[in-house]
Amino acid sequence: MKAKHLGLASLLLGASALATPALADVNIGLLNGITGGAAAMAPEITKSLQFAVDQINEQGGVLQGEKLVGIMADDGCSPQVAADAATKLVNVSQVIGVVGPLCSGALMAAANSATIPAGVILISQSATSPEITTLKDNDLVFRTIPSDEYQGQALARTLLDRGTKKVAVSFINNDYGKGIAEAFKKEYEAKGGEISGYEAHEENKSSYRADLAGLAQGGADTLVLLDYGDTSGLTVLREAIENGFFEKFVGAEGMKTSAPIKAIGADNLTTFMASAPVSTKSEALDIFNKAFAEAGGDINASYVGPSYDAVFLLALAIEKAGGDKSKLSESLRAVSNGEGEPILPGEWKKAKELIAGGKAIDYKGASGELNFDANGDVPGSYALFKVAGDDWEVETEMK
Amino acid sequence: MEWITVLNYPVYLAIFICIYGCLAIGLNIQWGYAGLFNAGVAGFFAIGAYTSAILTSPWAEGRLGGFDLPFPVGLVGAMLLAGLLAWPIGKICLRFRSDYLAIVTIGVAEGIRLVARSEEWLTNSARGISAIPRPFGDLPYAKAQLVYLGITALILLVAYVLVQRQAVSPWGRMMRAIRDNESAAQAMGKDVPYRRLEAFILGSALMGLAGALYVHLARTITPDAIDPMLITFLVWIMVILGGSGNNRGVLLGAIIVWVIWSTSEIVTDQLPSEYALKAKYGRMFLIGLLLQLVLRFRPEGILPEKLRKEPREERRVGEQDSVTQATGNIIN
Repeated sequence: MKAKHLGLASLLLGASALATPALADVNIGLLNGITGGAAAMAPEITKSLQFAVDQINEQGGVLQGEKLVGIMADDGCSPQVAADAATKLVNVSQVIGVVGPLCSGALMAAANSATIPAGVILISQSATSPEITTLKDNDLVFRTIPSDEYQGQALARTLLDRGTKKVAVSFINNDYGKGIAEAFKKEYEAKGGEISGYEAHEENKSSYRADLAGLAQGGADTLVLLDYGDTSGLTVLREAIENGFFEKFVGAEGMKTSAPIKAIGADNLTTFMASAPVSTKSEALDIFNKAFAEAGGDINASYVGPSYDAVFLLALAIEKAGGDKSKLSESLRAVSNGEGEPILPGEWKKAKELIAGGKAIDYKGASGELNFDANGDVPGSYALFKVAGDDWEVETEMK
Repeated sequence: MEWITVLNYPVYLAIFICIYGCLAIGLNIQWGYAGLFNAGVAGFFAIGAYTSAILTSPWAEGRLGGFDLPFPVGLVGAMLLAGLLAWPIGKICLRFRSDYLAIVTIGVAEGIRLVARSEEWLTNSARGISAIPRPFGDLPYAKAQLVYLGITALILLVAYVLVQRQAVSPWGRMMRAIRDNESAAQAMGKDVPYRRLEAFILGSALMGLAGALYVHLARTITPDAIDPMLITFLVWIMVILGGSGNNRGVLLGAIIVWVIWSTSEIVTDQLPSEYALKAKYGRMFLIGLLLQLVLRFRPEGILPEKLRKEPREERRVGEQDSVTQATGNIIN
């Protein structure tokens, strides 16, 4: 056994020597859900991550003109796969920081077993579980996406403001669905709303009629559906419309995909709305959208903005810290704390010059202001979207 | 960079091999010795993982816990509970034979996964349990990993030695006899249902132990960690590829399969990026292909089971059917 392990270790050392690129590069890890549960979202996220890396390199790269290299690894949306991939990124590829993973369970395993012990900073663009807020992370785990806690609360307040006093809630039984549903329920009931039915459903069932029939008995005409629009959320929505269980439907950002519009048709979705994080300063978002669309990306895809911002912020932090791994958290907070010269997406060269001149900068991202709080979370700004034509359109801002 | 940090990844790899080694030995007792087709490895892994997590983690609102017990208690608890729960499951399911048993155990494992997903008071459902302690986890990264490797390797070694001793003892020969020809073993006066249950419980307890070892490594457990593909399926491949019925074989299988699974990504990352992305899907294919090749050219596995030589007079007869083989096993 021992001899085998040693043999193995030396073999791997050889492999790692091969895997480490030339010294003039700055490596960052991109943990992306290429396989597994989030695979449907991965292609556009990949484009967005790569787009950010390319843009930075085109505008002079990081530090003394070194190339920023994004090493893509698969988190599989699974704790074991993500922890394994993160260990490889941290130790074999020797990355200075990690963007990702996409899924919350994967993030906790990867952070606990690799990035936190190794002192590597991690910025996730889509892991939204409230559990991550309380992670003992030595200030190394950040998110460019708000915790579900915020979105659930905002959704509850918006519905009440719009006069919806009674709803049924159906959510996918995973960390995402549950996190957002709980936050919604708490806020909605505290502000005087009534929840007539509150049920989790399993993903990938062939039919949800029985679940829906049970929820409809409560007498609410609005269904709050917290699920993914590409998978089971689509099935639930279709069956609820077909059978007339509910009249109105409200989803969260997981439902705001193109799949329901394509599969069910915009004509049938006039009473369907979905909330999603948006940028309050739309200037930054416009700039990103224009550039990303020109680069061949889909600007309405989920998490493309937060993905871009995560890479850009990490690069800014590297630049600010002068490549010193131990100062990255501090620098990350410094480049986006609401004070200093505003930097918009794509303005890498400007940011680089300002940092070199010792001036304070404040990154305003495609997905929002991104001023991190003490837990490394960002407060969210959201809007409620409705279906218009073949796409989503902002109905109202959410508070 | 210090030499010790270079070892981080191989050490992590080795820890996982030890965990999978425990699973593989557990399955080897069930399939290799007793011939029980358990397709619910992930279920017992989950029981062990959650038991140890609940026993050792600090108090948290809304779920069972707060016992804050030391790590060894968690391990023992995991083994006990996995074994205890295997008893009623085995009592009912072991009446089924081969493929029927496989279907029933898949169902049981799915049931366990759904309980972990849904029962908030017990497992905190989808959000999972975090802040699980790791022994010596406060040491610097590389040292903490090395210490944990030491612990898992020691546990695996103890499990291996004990199971190996059991396998070469009369108990092991009796198990093989039951596997190879149940009626013959029964005719020799062996209590077949009882012995099968014994193997099922013993194997399941080892799977629970592996779950506990995993949970203290990851320090968090969510229901997505109970992935049948990563746990049940990979362990089966390890056992078949390495050589079922041979403990050294299944350990070799664990090493080969996990090293290929984990390091193939490093190799494929050298490809141009568009192919490298597609290649991530190829990992499972690679493992499947390896299994196909082994099944085609070496169906008994890389290190096949070592059976004791037939008695001389029987060999002179030439033909050996399973009855003589089984009785041979019992007489020996």
